[in-house]
Amino acid sequence: MNTVIRFENISKRYKLGLTRTSLPGVISQWLKGSLKAAPQKADDDKYLWALRDVSFELMQGQSMALVGANGAGKTTVLKLLANITKPTTGTIQTQGQLSALIELGAGFHPDLTGRENIYLNGTILGLSREYIRRRYDEIVAFSELERFIATPVKRYSSGMIVRLGFAVAACIEPDILLVDEVLAVGDASFRQKCLKRIQSLLEDGTSIIFVSHNLYLVQAVCSKALYIQKGRVLLDGETNDVVEAYEHDLHEERARKFEISDLEQTDGAADVEITKVEVWGVDGPAAGPLPSNQSAQIRVHYDAYHDVGIVSMSVFVMRSDGLTCSMMRTKLDGFELELQRGQGVISVHLDPLQLISGTYFAEAYFLNESDSMVLTSAGGRSDWFSVKGAARSYEETSGVYEPIARWHHQHNGLQAAHLDSVREPALGSAETESR
Amino acid sequence: MLAQSIALLQAGDLLREWTSRNIRARYQQSALGWLWAVIQPVAQVAVFTLIFTLIVPVNTGDIPYVIFSYVAMVPWTFLATSLTDMSNSLVDNMTLVTKIYFPREVLPVAAMLARLMDFGVAAVLVVILMLFYQVPLFPAGLLFLPVILGIQLALTLGLGLAAAAANVFFRDVRSLLTLGLQIWFYASPIIYPVTLVPERLRSFYYLNPMSGIIEAYRDVLLRGELPGPYLALSAAMSLVVFSIGYWFFKRVEFQFADIV
Repeated sequence: MNTVIRFENISKRYKLGLTRTSLPGVISQWLKGSLKAAPQKADDDKYLWALRDVSFELMQGQSMALVGANGAGKTTVLKLLANITKPTTGTIQTQGQLSALIELGAGFHPDLTGRENIYLNGTILGLSREYIRRRYDEIVAFSELERFIATPVKRYSSGMIVRLGFAVAACIEPDILLVDEVLAVGDASFRQKCLKRIQSLLEDGTSIIFVSHNLYLVQAVCSKALYIQKGRVLLDGETNDVVEAYEHDLHEERARKFEISDLEQTDGAADVEITKVEVWGVDGPAAGPLPSNQSAQIRVHYDAYHDVGIVSMSVFVMRSDGLTCSMMRTKLDGFELELQRGQGVISVHLDPLQLISGTYFAEAYFLNESDSMVLTSAGGRSDWFSVKGAARSYEETSGVYEPIARWHHQHNGLQAAHLDSVREPALGSAETESR
Repeated sequence: MLAQSIALLQAGDLLREWTSRNIRARYQQSALGWLWAVIQPVAQVAVFTLIFTLIVPVNTGDIPYVIFSYVAMVPWTFLATSLTDMSNSLVDNMTLVTKIYFPREVLPVAAMLARLMDFGVAAVLVVILMLFYQVPLFPAGLLFLPVILGIQLALTLGLGLAAAAANVFFRDVRSLLTLGLQIWFYASPIIYPVTLVPERLRSFYYLNPMSGIIEAYRDVLLRGELPGPYLALSAAMSLVVFSIGYWFFKRVEFQFADIV
């Protein structure tokens, strides 16, 4: 395998605000700049370092995610790779044809027909007319817009425009593909289609750099990842490790914000602290992935500094990308909780767990009796835990939870009492089926 | 080397697509469509013909004023509309420029090529006028037409590329260009003959490359003469303008995406 991208010690500096005042001034500045190449001494107020000494390599057929907060420098990396802008220092080497899927339907003109826009958009993406002509029928079929192809795109719905844009982009077969949040648009089936296309490109040996805030998607597509923070590489490694580190930071960030702004605090020190949140399987602390069809429990350890009295507790199950999968409240379930000075453990059993395969964590909060005020200064948070459901991977399924499903099929209606399929209620009979 | 040739070839396709996009988009919802390419210079020539034959008569020798000024108005309109469109070509497509890589020259060059089509359409009327006024053809001179056009293209490209790039940084360029074109129009021999320019100012007058270009068009089309030495001066000037304009464009093109 050979290296297709070599990104070496790249720094990129942007000018901030309007530093130039007059046209003649700038012209003389430009002329001076061309005479002496060395940049003048950097002034921190005038410049922003979008990237600082970033290096990475990508091998052929590899897919790498760029993760990081907004403004961390991910888009700058893509722009540098796509040759839209030049680095301030450092060198970039790429091998083979590079295409960027940064904006779908780039250059579409509303007055032109779908057909004309296919050629326009295709050539902007670097395809030749001849190539587009050969793939034209395929593009139209993929977009499912046969009937409207001679209509100006200004009469298209936004969904149709996205479909046409993607249909053109889908016929690119580059050596390196840059994908930036393109998949954020469109509905679920469209995303699925895009994902399939990306995966088939990967199989054909295309190398991909992928930017998305959907960490779930990132894990589904990428084998390695780069965590960028404020223009610097924080971590470069396996996707799961990098995503985990990033999510950890995200969570802390969120907790900090939550702590500062959203909560009405009790005066002074908190009465009670959550010391630990654990997730257990059937026989104690989870060692490996928890089976979805078996029970699990979330155990919240606390330390009360004095007699607190009647409280309530909320426990959340969160997916790794921050989606709240479930919220359990003692008040809702009619479970009375009275805290006295000292330590204790509150546990909630989920039987069965019923989450689809993935990575999750649990979070717990103490609230006052009326559920109107959080008592703990920060929520307790468990380590990551993974769940093993029927589906082996993300592409095999979608959704959040996995009910115990039983299928029936009746033919010619001999047993009229049965439905075509029966799903067990969420918390039902004791009889569970093992799969 | 191979990759570069392929890139150029593909840029050629993009240039073609973008040019035809400009043309089609311009006339898409207009009833008269490409006829506007003729209407504009014709209307101007009509006005100037009224003024300079009835009100303030101008001596254009044995060439009728209508064809005298129309032959100049067509290349002038090409220059003026091209420069205006070119200067806006990058600014109007900033979303594209900041997000996708393609040779940046494509946008201004395509803007000019779209106007070249208008030029071709308007030029048909030159032929009709020549037939109407029975202007004798001068085959040797006609061979010069592509040369003169080439010089004009170099001039337009140089100025247009520079204006397009500068406009990204300062929108003043747009207003400056409109003003400049107005002055330039009267500084060129479009609506009056060069013979009216005082002798001592002539050499300065020909420093304006459009003077030589327009006179050269008249020489080969109307006067049946080979272009005078002023065409060589225009060619040299245009080449200098083109080199500087293109150099400037290439120098700043990677800053386009950094301007938000």
